Amino acid sequence: MNIQLAPTGLNPFDDPLDRILAEIALSVQLPPSLHDKAKSRYDAVRRHLEATTAFVDQIEHFYTQGSMAIDATISTRGTDDEYDLDIVSQLGDRFRRMTPLEILIELEAALADYPVQRVLRQTRCVTLFYADKMHLDVTPSLRLYDTLDRESLITHAKGPRRSADDRLVDMNAYGFAQWYASKTPLELRMAKEFHRRWLDHAGLAARADADVDEVPDQCDFIVKNTATLALQLLKRFRNIRYASYSGRIAPSVMLSYYAGLAARPNISLSAMLIRLANWIIRDIEQASLYGRLLHVANPICENDVFTDRWPESIAQQDEFAGHLREFVCSLEAMRNGEMFPNMMMDTLRGDFGDRVVTRAADQIATEVGGNIQQSRQLYTRRGGVLLPTAAAVAASTVNPAVSAAQPHTFFGRKI
Amino acid sequence: MMAAILSIDEQVVAMKAAWPQFAPRRIDRRAQFARWVGSVRPQYASYLLEIRYELGSSPEGRVLSPELIRLPQNVEGQLPHVYPPAENPTLCLFDPREREWSPAMTISSTIVPWALDWLTCYELWLMTGRWTGGGRHVGSEFAEVTESTL
Repeated sequence: MNIQLAPTGLNPFDDPLDRILAEIALSVQLPPSLHDKAKSRYDAVRRHLEATTAFVDQIEHFYTQGSMAIDATISTRGTDDEYDLDIVSQLGDRFRRMTPLEILIELEAALADYPVQRVLRQTRCVTLFYADKMHLDVTPSLRLYDTLDRESLITHAKGPRRSADDRLVDMNAYGFAQWYASKTPLELRMAKEFHRRWLDHAGLAARADADVDEVPDQCDFIVKNTATLALQLLKRFRNIRYASYSGRIAPSVMLSYYAGLAARPNISLSAMLIRLANWIIRDIEQASLYGRLLHVANPICENDVFTDRWPESIAQQDEFAGHLREFVCSLEAMRNGEMFPNMMMDTLRGDFGDRVVTRAADQIATEVGGNIQQSRQLYTRRGGVLLPTAAAVAASTVNPAVSAAQPHTFFGRKI
Repeated sequence: MMAAILSIDEQVVAMKAAWPQFAPRRIDRRAQFARWVGSVRPQYASYLLEIRYELGSSPEGRVLSPELIRLPQNVEGQLPHVYPPAENPTLCLFDPREREWSPAMTISSTIVPWALDWLTCYELWLMTGRWTGGGRHVGSEFAEVTESTL
């Protein structure tokens, strides 16, 4: 009988390049404190709305969409510590008789006295600005009956007055999140190690040990799959490349779609990142070759077009493909050991931002140096140095190709 | 009882068993001397490493290529934990005062892995400007431990 084992994923902290990439991803990650707050804030906003006259008994569903729904949240473009989170509020019959602008205004009015720093009506949602720099977008929607679960229409109205451009836009964020989850199943080894580091990073070492050692396999891991980690890094790369550009950029949901397509079990983080970027480059090249704009739609709702507002021109998509080509080229040089560490740092800073890369390198230097001082490192037969992760320590007991360290003290001069 | 001093032949055998990529480039049994050269990639980049050993002397490790990068004005010096000459430095892998190495030890289990540690710390030093692997510099005899990991 053949037994199919679920892929466990590779521990990104076992490989030097993956390690620094994973540390960078940790630095831009929604921290545990805000992750916990986000959940309670969803519930609080829903309770607040349901307590208003306009929304009582009118909220059919209240669910996350976008990056939070697929555990791929990173800091907002142009920041290192601000986070945009999205929820969809599926509304009842009373709202079906209203125009898109009326719905948005009604939602804004219901949230006007909500205890946050600012409430802002936008074209498709109402945004709540919290003091800790979290932004919560509440998007009203109306269920499209006789379609797949939660396929809906969302409001589009710039305001402040009614316009011919006001409309309802087809979408199925819920279905997309389910599609993404099916393409990126839990990789337990990778997820456990990343979850432990995520908590550790926030100074929650005790919770990290308790959470990770005793959790069931279906624990609420923040990142479940290497493809999602690669997606976060790609989003960060895009944010940095377009940091001084104020126009529209390649949308996160489109990048998420490609991460779902490119996901493959048990490959390294750097290989996954290259694979993801190459997938997008190929599709853009193909579109440009035929003089077309890139067209990406929700795989379970063809009217939900992810590229409806970007790219605006072939030049714009070609520019993004050019950035991705440079990115792939530098990652391949790093993977092949062709880039010196100081050059590698300059490149990574250009790709992901100065502060997070410096912090990642400092974290690694402290950890690796500390392990070497305590002779906890291991060596591969080919001349690699391994850090004492669980997998490496296990390998040393069964694999003669991995050997242990002997204590020594660096000496000599400064020249 | 003192452990027996290992001959060059014993060092060569141990080296071949542990690090097959380190080919002996020269073995002089009469002078009890050997030189090995091998390619390693401890963390990010690849290096060609040379180990020289003559019975009665301390083993020496050098990086043949690429040329080691200097960081002028770094608090650890332009290149930390090496012996001169500056243009062709030898890696300082152990503290003689602590008797961490003796000729009864195999080079394969000491000098080679310690050189890998040195290269790892060197790369992290290039990345951060901090030598986090600890150690002691000549002239700091009164300092028990020099660099901190903090």
